[in-house]
Amino acid sequence: MSIERFLNNSVTSWMADEGEHADIVMSTRIRLARNLTGYRFPLSFSENEALQVDQAVSAVLLDAESELESTFSYIDIKGLSTLNRQVLVEKHLISPKLAHSEVTGSVLLSDDEAISVMVNEEDHIRIQCIFPGLQLLEAWHQANNIDDMLEKELPYAFDEQFGYLTSCPTNSGTGLRASVMMHLPALTMTNQMNRLVTTITRLGMVVRGIYGEGSEALGNVYQISNQTTLGKSEEDILTDLQSITEQIIQKEREARNALLNTRPNVLEDRLYRSLGVLTYARILTTEEAGRCLSDVRLGIDLGLIKGVDVSILNECMIFMQPGFLQKYAGMSLQSEERDVFRAKLFRERLQVDNNLNNEGEEPHDV
Amino acid sequence: MICENCKQRPAKVTVTQIQDGTHVQRHYCEKCAQNFHPFHLDFQQDPLSLHQLLSNWFGAPESAQVQQKQQLQPKIPPCSSCGWTFRQFLNEGKFGCAHCYESFREQLPSVFKKLHNGNVKHVGKAPGKFGHKLQLKKQIEAIRTSMQAAIGIENFEEAAKLRDEARELEKQLQSGGEPPDVN
Repeated sequence: MSIERFLNNSVTSWMADEGEHADIVMSTRIRLARNLTGYRFPLSFSENEALQVDQAVSAVLLDAESELESTFSYIDIKGLSTLNRQVLVEKHLISPKLAHSEVTGSVLLSDDEAISVMVNEEDHIRIQCIFPGLQLLEAWHQANNIDDMLEKELPYAFDEQFGYLTSCPTNSGTGLRASVMMHLPALTMTNQMNRLVTTITRLGMVVRGIYGEGSEALGNVYQISNQTTLGKSEEDILTDLQSITEQIIQKEREARNALLNTRPNVLEDRLYRSLGVLTYARILTTEEAGRCLSDVRLGIDLGLIKGVDVSILNECMIFMQPGFLQKYAGMSLQSEERDVFRAKLFRERLQVDNNLNNEGEEPHDV
Repeated sequence: MICENCKQRPAKVTVTQIQDGTHVQRHYCEKCAQNFHPFHLDFQQDPLSLHQLLSNWFGAPESAQVQQKQQLQPKIPPCSSCGWTFRQFLNEGKFGCAHCYESFREQLPSVFKKLHNGNVKHVGKAPGKFGHKLQLKKQIEAIRTSMQAAIGIENFEEAAKLRDEARELEKQLQSGGEPPDVN
């Protein structure tokens, strides 16, 4: 199976505009961290150990394809260029840590890209399942299945007191990190995010920007995940995250209604201005693109903006990142050049859409 | 220029607000700016990042506690499998290998308490054979409880039966947790 498809296609399964509450919850991710006995953790192991772990895990997974009803492609990380690694990171199919790995490591990707098993990231095995919308249980069942299958063939490092033994003590226990990616423009606009973040944090959850640890909430997209992995069962972790997510959804809906009711003209003006920027700008920084994408998405959700497909916005969200832009341009780009290409890309994608709606319009100049 | 808010101190901070698409510039002194615009700082104060937690734990106010502890147990031997020391674990915030958990078993509960909301013991999924062992233990406990109850009401026949059942399960547990009829 060629890996080009994973690299060239900016559309990936979790971006489909489906699943529950898809207007607010963009995607759900489940990650399980597992290690094998008999090998040191990737932080301290030798290349020889890395190779053995890699072979053992991929052999089992590739053997079980029929049982799991998925076809997996094995992608050796060392065999990828830096740019291609970055592209996989931008699609959330591998982590930045694996992309920078210096020892043998790999990712096994299901054809629909919903399942990715990383080998020799921070832990020997990282099972990741991403589903569109809010689907915590569905994603968990998928990940759990793969875990069950691997467990039958591989000796896991496990301890009755500490659970699954992981390299980082924040993962010990269940090794489970469940996250939901939420678009919360109305809560942000009405200055409620600070308070919300504090509350969520007190409830044992973590809030981050979309591109992971340390990133700002670009485009008003927040990632909310469980902090505690020890002393709580998988079911409890998922139930708690589900209930917090549902409450945030409700608050966001209330804030959206409030915005719509108080100053509809001002809101509509702002959202359409953003659509204008995305459609016609010649230079677009990441920040501006993120902000405008968020506005246009909100406009669509509120029924104020019609004729723009959400899936195009989702695609742009992935495509606007540096790695994809450089693939698109076919060369490496400096930061300012990226802003120009980003603008060009948005014009193309949004104009394509416009042309379908208004036939006969002048083709644009790029 | 003086601060727009207190109209006393000199304005040192310029804040650009974007309200409904228009930029508004405001000039505040440091003190007022802090009160008005705490939001930019919020994300940097991620109170749950591991590095922070561990370094806080190891660093400033609580380092005294750690040092005390380390003096009380002057030498925590390094992990026999990967050679990492407990200090190395704290500095990296990571374990070197699975055996580190065994090597630092005594020290770990206090670390986990801080990271996992006071929890120190795993609850939840376990790999098959461990899961079976745990189940056996629970079963044995349950049988013992009913045995005591049977003794309490002087139903010795039932108690003897339960005792034998418990023994049988214990044998299984000692032989590695495998049920006798493995398929």
